Amino acid sequence: MSVELYRAAVLEHSRNPRNAGTLDSPSHRARAANPLCGDELEVTLLLAGGRVTAIRAAVRGCIIAQAGASLMTTAIEGATEAEARVRARDFRAALEDPHATLPPSLEPLTPLLELHQHPSRIGCALLSWLALERALDPGAGT
Amino acid sequence: MPAPSPYRGDFPILERRIQGYPLAYLDNAATTQKPRAVINALSSYYERHNANVHRGVHTLAEEASALYEEARATLARFLGAPSPRQIIFTRGTTDALNLVAAGWARPRLKPGDEILVTRMEHHSNLVPWQMAARERGATLRFAGITAEGTLDRESFASQLSGRTRIVAISHVSNVLGTINPARELIALAHAAGARVVLDAAQSAGHLRLDVRDLDCDFLALSGHKMYGPTGIGVLYGKADCLEEMQPVQGGGGMIEWVEEQEAAWAPIPARFEAGTPNIAGAHALAAAAEYLRPRLEPAQQWEAGLTAYALERLAAVPALQLYGPRDPARRAGVFSFNLPGLHPHDVAEVLDGYGLALRAGHHCCQVLMRSLGVTATLRASLALYSDSGELDRLAEGLSTARKALSA
Repeated sequence: MSVELYRAAVLEHSRNPRNAGTLDSPSHRARAANPLCGDELEVTLLLAGGRVTAIRAAVRGCIIAQAGASLMTTAIEGATEAEARVRARDFRAALEDPHATLPPSLEPLTPLLELHQHPSRIGCALLSWLALERALDPGAGT
Repeated sequence: MPAPSPYRGDFPILERRIQGYPLAYLDNAATTQKPRAVINALSSYYERHNANVHRGVHTLAEEASALYEEARATLARFLGAPSPRQIIFTRGTTDALNLVAAGWARPRLKPGDEILVTRMEHHSNLVPWQMAARERGATLRFAGITAEGTLDRESFASQLSGRTRIVAISHVSNVLGTINPARELIALAHAAGARVVLDAAQSAGHLRLDVRDLDCDFLALSGHKMYGPTGIGVLYGKADCLEEMQPVQGGGGMIEWVEEQEAAWAPIPARFEAGTPNIAGAHALAAAAEYLRPRLEPAQQWEAGLTAYALERLAAVPALQLYGPRDPARRAGVFSFNLPGLHPHDVAEVLDGYGLALRAGHHCCQVLMRSLGVTATLRASLALYSDSGELDRLAEGLSTARKALSA
């Protein structure tokens, strides 16, 4: 396993996760679990006026899952519901395509593209996005 | 001088001599031989990449997982499936058909519902439906066959009704060689509101398959009948059908999470692949599909030419009774026949003495055997490495057997 995956930016987000925990009165919530390792997390968010005004992720998982969730919340907080869906789709597509780059809205997540070299870990980084998609569209990604 | 098959040299086992004769392997409906590309895929997997899939982050686990998922994508392309997630790896056709019967049909069938099969079905596309029908109080109905050994379309159409939930049919009969008009039958079944399960065990590797063109709801095949290894096969399903299907086996790899009293299923296709899969087999089956990709069309023509020739040669064997259509355009290279008064096992034994590998028995089609009024037949079945010289040898061997055994 290459240490390239654990760059400073990723480690920093896993040690000091942004938006960690659970909202008390979320408008939407969903869980996701990684069947391969047992990691699980819950995303809670508040949708007000069509915008994600608050979002939290409670993560029990590896560094990639934790940093991935932290980075996800920073990319989604303040986004409109439509933007959130597009960003989820864009991030998933970028991880699945070995030659992809990220759109400007997702630029801070660039260190995670190192996962192209570690396909078995892509699911770790997508876990929080799966929960986000399920929160917005119950039934998504089943 | 008959021309040898251009593909013969790809199959190491065909270098063997049996009883002093070059092996004439005419038991391809039972299992085909394997080209070097498939054998190499099996050995290179174990020599270089072996690890368990999906649960590891080390390099070999990444490689094994990638090869397994690439195999899924290769089989999706081979069948024209819209997405690799619609390809479930199974142990073979039998396993695939049992999965549909137990996981999709049983939870859906109600008393009074009907399942329509044909009289030419292999036991693997019959017994699972008997089991499902008996458990759910449904009725199993049979479309008949004509005197020539083709499907009786009137019988088929007249038995379709609003009660028909499932139509389970073989694409090519493993006894008669009959090619069923799958597309047309599927359209008829759909018009009646039924879902269709196509048993492609005998067509895969011989006919071009395109699940979107066929419009079947499920399709089952065996790797070992299309030049791949034993113990691996495929169930293709339309996405909505697979989403509706219940897993039949629980275990590792098929869950999203597990609590003490319950579990949530992983997405398709992993939901249906509990336990460590046949990774090497899937990889080698993909090698078989890749071997076939540029060869399938010319091989199909080669086999069609041999089919016409075989019909001619067999018709010229005195007293030989051939079952199945005489029109080469309506059949594949599978020929069942008998020599009157002789038991097929005795004839097969004599033929083996000439290096001819044929099968004798009921071919897992006892319902069809009863329709034909026999208990067993001899069967010769072709592959892309067969040639007309082998068919000449078969015709001579049959004449010799008749004289030797009738004395």
